[in-house]
Amino acid sequence: MKHRWVMIVIGAALLIVGEARPAYAMHIMEGFLPPLWALIWFAVTIPFWVIGFRQLQRMVREKPEVRLLLGFAAAFTFVLSALKLPSVTGSSSHPTGTGLGAILFGPWVMSVLGSIVLLFQALLIAHGGLTTLGANAFSMAVVGPWVAWLIWRGLVGRAPFWLVVFLAAALADLSTYVVTSLQLALAFPDPAGGILAAFAKFGAIFAVTQIPLAISEGILTVLIMHALQTNAAAELQALAIKGVRS
Amino acid sequence: MLRIIDQYAFANRLRAVDPLHKAALAGMTILLCLILDRPLVGWLALAWMVTVMVWYARVPLRVVGAVIGAESVFLALSVIGIAVSVGSEPPPAALLAIPFGPLWLSATGASVQTALHVLGRALGSAAALNGLILTTPLIDLIELLRRLRAPVLLIELMALSYRALFVLLDTLDQMVTAQTARLGYASWRATMRSSALLGSRLFIVAYQRSQALEMALTARGFAGDLRVLPLSYTVDRQLWLIGVMIGGSLVVAGWWT
Repeated sequence: MKHRWVMIVIGAALLIVGEARPAYAMHIMEGFLPPLWALIWFAVTIPFWVIGFRQLQRMVREKPEVRLLLGFAAAFTFVLSALKLPSVTGSSSHPTGTGLGAILFGPWVMSVLGSIVLLFQALLIAHGGLTTLGANAFSMAVVGPWVAWLIWRGLVGRAPFWLVVFLAAALADLSTYVVTSLQLALAFPDPAGGILAAFAKFGAIFAVTQIPLAISEGILTVLIMHALQTNAAAELQALAIKGVRS
Repeated sequence: MLRIIDQYAFANRLRAVDPLHKAALAGMTILLCLILDRPLVGWLALAWMVTVMVWYARVPLRVVGAVIGAESVFLALSVIGIAVSVGSEPPPAALLAIPFGPLWLSATGASVQTALHVLGRALGSAAALNGLILTTPLIDLIELLRRLRAPVLLIELMALSYRALFVLLDTLDQMVTAQTARLGYASWRATMRSSALLGSRLFIVAYQRSQALEMALTARGFAGDLRVLPLSYTVDRQLWLIGVMIGGSLVVAGWWT
């Protein structure tokens, strides 16, 4: 009797996961984090916002028209995350766009633009939240772009172009997923095994949606960068992106 | 989802009410949910917010339900994650324990309670946030940020992105329609190829649109600042009363349980 009940719950959970598109499944929703952790993640993220914002202000002071490009860049990242990607397991999911954004605009700029995108996702499509914005911004607008950018700057020119882009985009996704699992584990440690067990647990649960997504997004970013190189070499050069052949 | 929320944000009965009041109501509810931190408070906030949205702001219940359910995947996965723990041996006071290879999946009374607790809190505060976004268009919230003296550049970037977003989304829709008509999404490979073309083309469109906007602004004497007229709002005394009732009942519920 007990087991049948368990089977029903697990079956219902699997149905939700399989049926609903794992849309933006890694945004921690409003009110999910206890107040203390929400504050801690804001404190961790704010320095990145301040430095990124200073850089933006300097860019705008030198060239006032850059702000138009930046506005469209944020909108582009938002719209990119509304794309429906076929994932390798058959369902579909949404790319985060952080890898591509970091390659195109750099990690400091992305820490601000990515956070604006996260805020828009909370306010326009009800994904994520205001009190959890610090935590979400840290995983998606800080760690993801930095991982992508470090891989890109470190490897471009030394490894095949497609491999570098794939690694940058896929690992940015994976690092976002790992950081979010860690944030959940720190806030909700396992009663038996502590933080480490909770981390493994949340990691395993979200692996269902996030690992296929990382692979799809890696492939898509490679294809986009190739297409950009052939179609938009002039625009890329205007943005002064390293490693792009003209 | 984007267009649905945006449409009702502009078309509901509380559209003209000062965004500061609506934001204060939502902010107060979220803070009370987080600080009082009782399951009953969360469920009560959910009930209040659905009532305000459906009965007072005249947003259809169907839309409210869809918006609150938008994050069901995250919520389901992570609440299960909190309730179930994994160990090499079953805990002594387990409510239920299932062997899974060498591991035991188990749920204790305490862990289920924590999970339900978080579920209530998250649903209550998410409903409060959704109450704000379903009654207030983003331009009003940007205007609110301007009144609260947020940095000018941040406000300009937000306003510009909000404007650019719908331009790009329309372009995206047209391109997807064109691609679909040519069997662009017929197989996995075709979908990847079409998505890549879409992403790169969209980047070029975004870049060119920003250049065009720059040229248009320069032609009109753009000096580095985007100035727009402030909007005017009404004051809704009934909403204040509702806010006091919500706040009072949540505090009572928090102390009572």
